[in-house]
Amino acid sequence: MIRIDNLSVRFGGVRPLDGLSADLTASIVGLIGPNGAGKTTLLNVFSGFVRPQTGEITMNGVAITRLSPARRVALGLRRIFQQEMVVDELTLRENVEAIADHVVADPSARRAEVDRALAFVGLSGRSDRPGRTLALFERRMVEIAKTLIGQPKVVLMDEPGAGLNEAEAQQLRTVLLGIPDTFGAQLVLIDHDADLIAAVCTETLVLDFGKRLALGPTRLALDDPAVRRAYLGSA
Amino acid sequence: MNLNRRIDIAPLELGRVDRWARRIHPLVTMIVSLAILTTVIAATAGGYWLTIFTASFAIALATSGTGLLYGRLGLVSLCQFALVGIGGWITLRIYYEFHPPFLISILAGGVGASTIGMLWGLPALRMRGLHLALATLMLAGAFQVVITNWSFPNGGDSFLGYMGDKPRVDMDRPWLATSDVAYFVYVSIILAAGLAVLEWHRHAKPGRAWALISKSEPMAIASGVNIVFYKAWAFALAGFLAGIGGGLLAGCYGGLDGGAFAAADSILLFAVSVIGGIADWQGALLAALLFRVPPAFLNGLGVNGNFATLLFGAGLIHALMTAPNGISGQLHDAVARFRARRGKTVPQ
Repeated sequence: MIRIDNLSVRFGGVRPLDGLSADLTASIVGLIGPNGAGKTTLLNVFSGFVRPQTGEITMNGVAITRLSPARRVALGLRRIFQQEMVVDELTLRENVEAIADHVVADPSARRAEVDRALAFVGLSGRSDRPGRTLALFERRMVEIAKTLIGQPKVVLMDEPGAGLNEAEAQQLRTVLLGIPDTFGAQLVLIDHDADLIAAVCTETLVLDFGKRLALGPTRLALDDPAVRRAYLGSA
Repeated sequence: MNLNRRIDIAPLELGRVDRWARRIHPLVTMIVSLAILTTVIAATAGGYWLTIFTASFAIALATSGTGLLYGRLGLVSLCQFALVGIGGWITLRIYYEFHPPFLISILAGGVGASTIGMLWGLPALRMRGLHLALATLMLAGAFQVVITNWSFPNGGDSFLGYMGDKPRVDMDRPWLATSDVAYFVYVSIILAAGLAVLEWHRHAKPGRAWALISKSEPMAIASGVNIVFYKAWAFALAGFLAGIGGGLLAGCYGGLDGGAFAAADSILLFAVSVIGGIADWQGALLAALLFRVPPAFLNGLGVNGNFATLLFGAGLIHALMTAPNGISGQLHDAVARFRARRGKTVPQ
């Protein structure tokens, strides 16, 4: 459960977030909006990289905007960045272990957690390959596995489906749909692929110019006349 | 989704092969190569040249630290040779004061250089790129000023351990390595131990954290990595290795000369580290050999050894333009090409 309350961010004269309020209750929430709507800025406020001028984000009852980024990670906040971040010099497994080192307190439990996450995304047989040899889809899956370590509570994903073909996108959907039940985490998903959003998100928040344009069941939000106007320029 | 059942069997089997291939094999290769090189040098070089190679192996500890900071983390540290000097000063001071076993003296030098490097570096570690380079260059400059005034301890009683221009009381080498050849082997063993510690780090928690930081600091932070702590750790380890190198240098010559630790030498050490290669131990060793062997060779020919600096300048430009992994990287590429060619021709 995420509560965003009157959140505003200003960069000089620009307001990427402007008094945004929303309660996100679904287990997989879509976050969409035209370019420049404030989606990535919102994720940066979640992570603690951008400090809001006003407002608060509450994650499962804990106010996080004044906490350090490290404290947020300890509370179960995970994130995938828009640009994939697999380290070429580390093996597939080491890429995931690098997170486990810091978010799983008990060293003896790390191995099992890494195994579980790799198995969940379907990469367990290939874990010794160097990062540089991985194809785009495998890289995306490594990124997802990284977020599933150490009891994640909220996982933010910035365009995990970018650049994937139809078959791969289908596999991605299956993986995403399994995350809330298997790992107990709430998923917030940014993507420009409306099919992906419609297929996996039960609830969607639509932003435009830093404000809330629509929030509700995904189909209703996507069909909202205001949302269609924002995307297509007419109703 | 019941995926848990098909997890473990394959990774466990592969895990063993992987550990050998990725962790133990490079370590064994490093130790065997170093042993062969040490044997060849000890058997063929004598007198002056053996001292040059001993000093090079000691300095390789410092260049391996540069490789860690620049190669793993992209941090430009221009104080590594000053840290060699600081380690040497502390080693000598501890030796003359307490006469502990040699190993204790050089470990004290390592810990001291690491601590001073850290104290200086901690505020600077929030900096990157040019700013960190300048801050560390200032430490090298400060050390040059201090050591020019203090000189290295040479057996005196005062706090500074310096007794003017009286003949130096040489620092004793370890009892089991008093001859030049034995001391060269001793330095080589300490170098192997230092490189093994670095190699272990590469595949352990700090190495993984450094890899994340180097890829992207925001991503590392969002992954729970304490980036200041892991940068400081790298700085401390590089300082420790440089300090040990300083102690070994002091043992090599019996003492140290303040004039040999100008700030310019720290810059030069960084340059040769890039030319030699910052990615692996071979690069660190090549860099240290470059730092010591060409000037000695030119001196032998009757040419001013400083002429080597010109060659390093040209070498650095060459490395920056065509060989980002230095000479070591080029050698690795050449070996890979040779193997590929042989692989192609064998089946025919």
